[in-house]
Amino acid sequence: MKEIIAIIRPKKVGPTRNALEQLGFPSMTATAVTGRGLQRGIAGEVNMDCPPELLAPNKPGGMKYIPKRLLSIVVQSSDVETVVKTIIEVNQTGQIGDGKIFICPLDNAVRVRTDERGESAVL
Amino acid sequence: MKMIRAVLRPETAEGVAEALANAGFVSMTQVHVFGRGKQKGIIVGTVRYEELPKTMILMVVDDKSVDDVIDLIKDRAYTGNFGDGKIFVSPVEAAYTVRTGAKGL
Repeated sequence: MKEIIAIIRPKKVGPTRNALEQLGFPSMTATAVTGRGLQRGIAGEVNMDCPPELLAPNKPGGMKYIPKRLLSIVVQSSDVETVVKTIIEVNQTGQIGDGKIFICPLDNAVRVRTDERGESAVL
Repeated sequence: MKMIRAVLRPETAEGVAEALANAGFVSMTQVHVFGRGKQKGIIVGTVRYEELPKTMILMVVDDKSVDDVIDLIKDRAYTGNFGDGKIFVSPVEAAYTVRTGAKGL
């Protein structure tokens, strides 16, 4: 079992969900998060035109943290490659801010309804 | 690679993020969460607050940077009172950048 943590653009959640559903991975958990990457947020992109004397001195404009969605998907170890490939395919726009995917090991899983443990608790 | 999850006071999180960025650890994700620790929340007068607002900072770093990051967080998030937060470190097997599809941080 592996947990795939993908941090992606909010508007790409729908297409990602649909693509994964087609492949047979309908389950996921989504969280609204904010974050930044190596580019330190968006510098200057959402600034309005305004006289420089109205701006706070020595303060960079732009967005420090960018809204993202964090998807957490638990799959069998053999399916990791497929899911990662699909997420990359759907989310790739070629522009900075497409997101990151992390693969984390998972020791156990429990289905609350039936008390199944391990591999069978994951879909 | 390791994933570092630090649950901190919301008011210290900004300072921590700044210190991390200055030290070269720019990439991070912030989540606003609610939680409690061993003290089961706090009691103010007659009211018990079971869950307190916290900010979780989530970042993935190379194995060799883990201690540096933990020291930086500890340094900036410390007040000495209950509720300063916790830091969790867990393994990450692989990381991908979606834009390029490349493996690695």
